[in-house]
Amino acid sequence: MVPSLARRARVRWDAARDCHVLLYPEGVLVLTPEAAEVIERVDGVRTLEAIVDALADEHPEAPREVIDRDVRELIERLAARGFVRSEAP
Amino acid sequence: MTAAPPMALLAELTYRCPLRCGYCSNPTDWRGYARELDAQNWRRVVREAAHLGVLHLHLSGGEPLLRDDLEDIAREGRDAGLYVNVITSGFGATRARIEGLAEAGVDHVQVSLQDVDGERGDRVAGVRAHDHKLAVARMVRDAGMELSINVVLHRGNLARTGEVIALAASLGAQRLELANTQYHGSALVNRAALMPARAQLDEALAVARAAQRDLAGRMDVIYVVPDWFADAPRPCMDGWGRRFMTVIPDGTALPCPGAHGLPGFAFDNVQARSLDDIWHRGADFERFRGTAWMPEPCASCDRREVDYGGCRCQAFALTGDAAATDPACAKSPYHTLIRDEREGPRDEPAVLHRIDTSRGRR
Repeated sequence: MVPSLARRARVRWDAARDCHVLLYPEGVLVLTPEAAEVIERVDGVRTLEAIVDALADEHPEAPREVIDRDVRELIERLAARGFVRSEAP
Repeated sequence: MTAAPPMALLAELTYRCPLRCGYCSNPTDWRGYARELDAQNWRRVVREAAHLGVLHLHLSGGEPLLRDDLEDIAREGRDAGLYVNVITSGFGATRARIEGLAEAGVDHVQVSLQDVDGERGDRVAGVRAHDHKLAVARMVRDAGMELSINVVLHRGNLARTGEVIALAASLGAQRLELANTQYHGSALVNRAALMPARAQLDEALAVARAAQRDLAGRMDVIYVVPDWFADAPRPCMDGWGRRFMTVIPDGTALPCPGAHGLPGFAFDNVQARSLDDIWHRGADFERFRGTAWMPEPCASCDRREVDYGGCRCQAFALTGDAAATDPACAKSPYHTLIRDEREGPRDEPAVLHRIDTSRGRR
């Protein structure tokens, strides 16, 4: 599965509030640093597994299955609100 | 205490509008504020807003398409990282114009509809507009932008709430804003003709709630419950000087788009002070910020940081005191004003008084 950011959503750094935000019509989602790390890798090219692999490499202290669960959960939540689309590779 | 930065800037580029809807919330004496900032000033305001911490830019009016520099202002916003929204009647828009907005970086276009068919819609708008609006909504989708349909609900169209929802969905809207009339500007003048019966509202609310369930994930249905019938004030602008900033056509910076009608205020103009300075140090932005200004019953109310005392403009319009508790609140000593009107008899047929907004200065 290859997740990509929907056109309605835009992710950027918010210098005034010192956090990443996801902007969408009439709304702002404040991203935790962990969520931002995931979304930065959602580029419509990498598969979900590749995103998990990359994060696991960068966080050897965290068990891979925990990262895997967290990433899937986040992507599902964002997909339910129409911010992320997933396509089969 | 330093106020948190605003989330959104509403830039009302012009008060001119080819439509003459009887519920328009723009000031009825709009010509007094009608000298418009030029593009250079607007672009500076947009940059200052982004620097201040604004994330959403709403380009509105009046009818923003009447400004041929709309695209330049939108592009400035997008270049500054803002999420750019255009709020329009769609009147007079061509496919080239809509594609130009997309090209300029506009993310989201909100197109207003007055009703579900040309005959009824055009009667409210005072011009022939409805059929073209539908075409414009489709153009917005074709151009790849997000589409919202905005409909003001009132006694004359509440019965068709279900049809409105079906129409918006058929246009491919991702978002439908069903906003019950708020009684400001022309709507306050016309309230006898606009105010629904409670049964109508209950029925519309049930229809909207069902659609929210049925359309979840396809179209967001936003239903704004009218404060006059809720016995609780709406948290106007999410609190004065808390999340929103408005700049009206002549460059006056306001905590809400209706605040210029308040007496005893000398709101700053963006031509004289920076947006940052106005937001953080403008006396009028400080005036009703937070809870320290509140009278009773607000001051000791456990909802004071839920509704922030309600709407200052409505408090002034109905009681003559902008610092009073919003009469929409059941705890307000003036609440009977609203109760009497909403329970009162309804005149038939409804007559709308219209403000001519079609001619004005640039």
